[in-house]
Amino acid sequence: MDTPDFKVRTRAKLADRTMHAVLWLVALTFVGVLLVFVGAILKQGWPELNLHFLTSMPKTLDAGGGIAPELLNSLYLVAISLILALPIGVGAGIYMAEYAGQGRALRFFRLCVETLAATPSIVLALFGMILFVQMMGWSFSIRSGAFTLALLNVPVITRVTEESLRAVPRELIEASYGLGATKLQTILKVALPYAATGILTGVVLTAGRAFGESAILVFTAGTNTSDKFPDFRLSVPGETLSVHLWYVTSDGTLPDASQIAAGTAAVMILVLLVLNLLVRLLDRAIRRRTR
Amino acid sequence: MDDLLPATTLDAPGPPAQAGPARLRTAPLFRHSRLNRLADRGTRFVLLACTLLVVGLIGGILYFLAIRGAAAFIPMAGNTDKVATFRQVFLSTNWDPGDGHFGILPFVAGTFAVTGLALLIAAPTGVLAGVFIAKVAPPWMRTLMRQVMDLLVGIPSVVYGIFGLTVILPLVGHAWLADAPAAGFGVSAAILAVMIVPTIVSLATDAFESLPASLDEGSQALGSTRWQSIWRVLIPAARPRLLTACVLGLGRAIGEAMAVQMVIGNNPQWILLMRQATDQTPVLRFLFTPAATLTTELVQELPNTAAGSTWNNVLFAMGLLLYLITMLLILATRRLGRQEHA
Repeated sequence: MDTPDFKVRTRAKLADRTMHAVLWLVALTFVGVLLVFVGAILKQGWPELNLHFLTSMPKTLDAGGGIAPELLNSLYLVAISLILALPIGVGAGIYMAEYAGQGRALRFFRLCVETLAATPSIVLALFGMILFVQMMGWSFSIRSGAFTLALLNVPVITRVTEESLRAVPRELIEASYGLGATKLQTILKVALPYAATGILTGVVLTAGRAFGESAILVFTAGTNTSDKFPDFRLSVPGETLSVHLWYVTSDGTLPDASQIAAGTAAVMILVLLVLNLLVRLLDRAIRRRTR
Repeated sequence: MDDLLPATTLDAPGPPAQAGPARLRTAPLFRHSRLNRLADRGTRFVLLACTLLVVGLIGGILYFLAIRGAAAFIPMAGNTDKVATFRQVFLSTNWDPGDGHFGILPFVAGTFAVTGLALLIAAPTGVLAGVFIAKVAPPWMRTLMRQVMDLLVGIPSVVYGIFGLTVILPLVGHAWLADAPAAGFGVSAAILAVMIVPTIVSLATDAFESLPASLDEGSQALGSTRWQSIWRVLIPAARPRLLTACVLGLGRAIGEAMAVQMVIGNNPQWILLMRQATDQTPVLRFLFTPAATLTTELVQELPNTAAGSTWNNVLFAMGLLLYLITMLLILATRRLGRQEHA
């Protein structure tokens, strides 16, 4: 046997060390990107964040407007869209996990849920615009926005429900049947309570996505708010924070558009950081139980 | 036998009423009324209805977009002006709706240019980050990376857009373009890349983690370095799932509207502009000429067009095209998934 080829070995070791460094570099770059990103948004928006900004009405032509109705609309729309999407999403998730079997039907349903989840939000916006805004005659309103936004939520909730139900230990289910429970009783009293934390995590994630969504709402909830505040009617236009952020920057009639946009972006980042923390806590709760 | 059962569930002490095993006295855990049995059967159908609603939604979306899109080519009730031909729409680069020119090629080309560029950045870095998280990173770094990706994926597209608009565009403008705006494919693709990287990283991490440990161990036992084992064994073994990750990332990029719309410059005549400009190198021209994509054009023009006009209908046809492309990508991932099992 020949002596080991030292050149090759050293070259391999050099490549190994270089790529090790490259991997760390790539990873740290992403950490850096996030830090710079969140840092820049918060730094730009910080001076704008005060009680006046959060609690007063927006202005259309003068400086000094606030974001009170937008903030309310954001939360209101997320809440309604979740109320609309939860029963359908959870119902479909239960069906797929417990009733659909393992065959072709399940594969087809999964493909559909996946396709719906991957549908570009602008396409959902077009659909919502045709169906709710035009055909139902709801025009640009909270209800048009909420119904279309629900379409964005449904597939995510369905998938999370199915996954959480599949993660329920087999023994629990069998024990329940062994005690004489019907399938429905088993699902309601054993499987769903066990899967609830997982589903809740999914719901919070969905809420975050809906909160940040803008393309759908520009074309269904509109770029205006009601003159009244607070206005909980479903038929009034419901501009949200994200739509406001986009609208003031692209419209350009506000003298302080960049400040308003910076403040709005900072508020959105703060809300999402809180939601993220909530997801982390729920996640920890799940892990503690499974251990 | 009696002492095996918990005392509380036994009949009260005393002479047994009848010979036989002790009876349980607590209320049954699950009641079996007729109502219960009926509910059990009925639920199945309610739940099936929910599932079919999800399936039907996709059909509904396709149907409505197809009807409105078709109205651009076929005279229909509700049309307010002359229809266009397929040729004028799908094979022309001339977009001038006011003058009756509806060529959507600039937007199709723009979509592929910006998403291709974004994938060029996001795919390699995403796969490397995935292998880093799965195989190289110490536990604390793994946790940190997961949290970073969770946050990146949660940031709304308009916030990405405003970051591009207020931070990146001025920066790039100063560096390369003196006083010209830096809008165009370059900055849009960079932002898109950051937006789709979490998708690619999380799927790539799963792909590497689900590989059998014997692959890695065998390769290292044969004397390969860490990197040799990653490059020659792990990445080829995970290839179908890595490709799936990239295709799903591409799908996300193609559908993204607002962030791109805020930084791309929204110029339907970008092909023409790029040809005319001669003061820059072709690469810089390509990266920094204000352009447009399918999604950005929809956001830009849909609010300004009247329902029933050919202009409006062509925009819906663009939406349909966008949806069909996304669906093709989903089907492609199915194909890749089957390849993996074969």
